[in-house]
Amino acid sequence: MDASAIAFYIFAAITVVASLGVVGQRNPMYSVMLLITSFGALAGLYVLLDAPFTAVTQIIIYAGAIMVLFLFVVMLLNVPREEPAPSGVLAALGPRGMQAATVLSLVLGLEIVWALSKVNRGWFAQDAAATSVSSVTLIGTTLFTRHAFAFEATSILILVAMVGAVVIARRER
Amino acid sequence: MSVDPQIVAQLGLIFVIFNMLVLSAAFMVWMERKVCAYIQDRVGPNRVGFEGVLQPFADVIKLMFKEQLRPKAADAVLFAIAPVISACAAFAAFSVIPFGTSTTVFGLLDEPIPLQVTDVNVAVLVIFAIASMGVYGIVLAGWSSNSKYSLLGALRSAAQMISYELSYGLALAAVIMLAGSLSLRDIVLNQSGTWWGFIPKWYVFLQPIGFFVYMVAGVAETNRAPFDFPEAEQELVAGYHTEYSSMSFALFFLAEYVNMVTVAAVATSLYLGGWLGPFLPDWLAWVWFLVKVFLILFFYVWMRWTLPRYRYDQLMEFGWKWLLPVGVLNLLATAALILWLG
Repeated sequence: MDASAIAFYIFAAITVVASLGVVGQRNPMYSVMLLITSFGALAGLYVLLDAPFTAVTQIIIYAGAIMVLFLFVVMLLNVPREEPAPSGVLAALGPRGMQAATVLSLVLGLEIVWALSKVNRGWFAQDAAATSVSSVTLIGTTLFTRHAFAFEATSILILVAMVGAVVIARRER
Repeated sequence: MSVDPQIVAQLGLIFVIFNMLVLSAAFMVWMERKVCAYIQDRVGPNRVGFEGVLQPFADVIKLMFKEQLRPKAADAVLFAIAPVISACAAFAAFSVIPFGTSTTVFGLLDEPIPLQVTDVNVAVLVIFAIASMGVYGIVLAGWSSNSKYSLLGALRSAAQMISYELSYGLALAAVIMLAGSLSLRDIVLNQSGTWWGFIPKWYVFLQPIGFFVYMVAGVAETNRAPFDFPEAEQELVAGYHTEYSSMSFALFFLAEYVNMVTVAAVATSLYLGGWLGPFLPDWLAWVWFLVKVFLILFFYVWMRWTLPRYRYDQLMEFGWKWLLPVGVLNLLATAALILWLG
């Protein structure tokens, strides 16, 4: 195995283990930290894919900005432990319901594995834009020419969401 | 198995830079106490070593032998890793900063290695990303201590760092546009040469407003006076590290000083031409880098002991209503001028 393969397995393992930890344990504070770890390892994977710009933006936006807000919410709500799932729902399902759910999720998992194994590798062949995602200039040019409409539409959507959040959060005086 | 001398040299360089940072933090502690003493018409530490230069080492030894305390209701895991996150983020940011041309270690190497841990092509963004990671150390420390002072300090600190990060990023963006590159080495090299033979082509002359915004935001990012709200002693005891003792307290302290050095080093690279300077031969260029960083750090200390602390609402108002608009206008004006003049 060469160095990049070893690095891939390390980063992939960290991502998977941290992501499982996010949903697998009950302290929301730890969940936030594990999610940040997972984002960091994902950034490592992006570097291995020759996309350092994507990796750094992943850290700045997800790990740096969004997760700080998550941390704030968790901190201010001050819930040291997540409430255990209300027993009513699971009890209502009953043992048979649980068994059915397990079987269904196993089938879904098999389905996904099967579908992914059938995917034509050619689809992932890199086009010119994908091979040079490290070039910031190229990303900018592509965003503002080929995808200008999508870019502007997204910006307006985010602005609308922001205004909406302010309106909802504002108390009537 | 033969060992590649380039790799050995690179590892040696990393070792040197790491120790340089630790020592610079020790030096900063000493300088801060000395400068503060003279500003306040005192003498300052003068017992340990010549003029007290060994005082920081005495302090570290003292801290090592102190008992490590942890509040009973604290979250043990997060309480333990918070100072580590702070220190790691502080050290990691320095890895992309170039501080000299290149060296062959007196002819021992076939190919010269650049005086820098690594020259990544998105270096400016890496610094920005790592700076935004540093906030976790502070927030986690404040939360996991389970103390009101710590929590308030952490909340203030996080709000302050998030607010000033935007202005910081805008100032960086203007320089990136001027240089047309995200690599700090390219940015420094772009500043070589002079106008009319005597004014160096440093970006501080093209970006005076950007430099101002960067320095103010940098001071706020490192939680230094007059923006040292996270640890406003009169209100919050010591802010987020109130409950810390011994070496974990020392780690926060170390992180704060290393962050200052990093902000000063980035300012030197972005605005003051990095290691470029007259008179010195190429292989001694790093002396210029050290001189410039030292001057900025001295300015930091000078400012801390001269200016009183702002009020918290003044800080927020200044950050959002003045610094951010100025940063945006600076960015727009820079972009327009670049398009106009080519």
